[in-house]
Amino acid sequence: MMVKFTTQIEIELIELAKDKNVYLEGNILKLVNTSSDQFKQYLDVSISKDIDNRKKRLEVTKQFQDQNKELLEKQRENDELMQSLQNALSQAEKAKEDALNDLSVMQKKSQYELIGNIVQVALCVILGVGITVTGMYIYSMALDSEETTLIGSTWSNLFGILLTNSFSIIGTIMGVKYANNEDKKKL
Amino acid sequence: MIESIFLVDDEDLFHLVFEDACSLLNISLSLDAVYSTDVAETMFAEWHNDPSDRPKCAFIDLNVIGSSYDGIELIRKVNNEYGNGIIIGIISSSVDANEIERAKDAGAMFWIVKSDEVEPRLQQFHQDYQDYVDRIKPFTVYK
Repeated sequence: MMVKFTTQIEIELIELAKDKNVYLEGNILKLVNTSSDQFKQYLDVSISKDIDNRKKRLEVTKQFQDQNKELLEKQRENDELMQSLQNALSQAEKAKEDALNDLSVMQKKSQYELIGNIVQVALCVILGVGITVTGMYIYSMALDSEETTLIGSTWSNLFGILLTNSFSIIGTIMGVKYANNEDKKKL
Repeated sequence: MIESIFLVDDEDLFHLVFEDACSLLNISLSLDAVYSTDVAETMFAEWHNDPSDRPKCAFIDLNVIGSSYDGIELIRKVNNEYGNGIIIGIISSSVDANEIERAKDAGAMFWIVKSDEVEPRLQQFHQDYQDYVDRIKPFTVYK
């Protein structure tokens, strides 16, 4: 289907192009028919301008498309890089956590060893003192010594003190064990 | 010249490229374009009831971001549910053989590879267009 303008409109369009440099554009130009040579010339110029404009726009649009593609590609690379960094950070945090756990275990082990040694020495001292004083008490009783009463009261006091200390040590050991169990539960 | 064409593509810039390329190559005077297969399906449903405004040829992108389904599924729906003899095919940057086969099975009539220089392929398609209308052209991939 072709369209045909009136002579008056054709003249006005030609005048408009001359005065304001404004031309018809778009696909409608392909549908306009005329018998006037002057308007045919006008249509040729309009079509030529329209083609130039479209070519320019097509070129610019393609440039934008290419830039968009590059930006998307770079964004993808950035995302991948961020993901790698996140993974590395997670691994570093996990390694740090493991190291701290190991350190904590080693510290606790040293503490237990120290406590064990202290308990061992303390028990040896208690047993040693207990055995010595008891021996002295038995010896004095066997000899019916005058010092038996004095040694007896000393043995009694000392035995009370040793028992108290023994229970104190046992209490400390139990406390440490209880605290250790609580830590394990928290972890 | 094709009376009216229809484009389904999620990319704004490609709408402009396609419109200008079609105009410069004198492929069509009228172009209608939408951004999702969902909208396109609604339009095909309307054209099924009233084919007066129906385009003569439809170019569907393969992966239409923001849509419920891809271009091949739309072609399958158009052919099976709204079938009214439209010339329909895929325009995509993909050249995946499996997807091409899928499109063929769904009833696509052509596959145009969308790259920086799409004009030569469009021109070649335009030359073959009448054969598609006459249903004598087999499924073709324009690379």
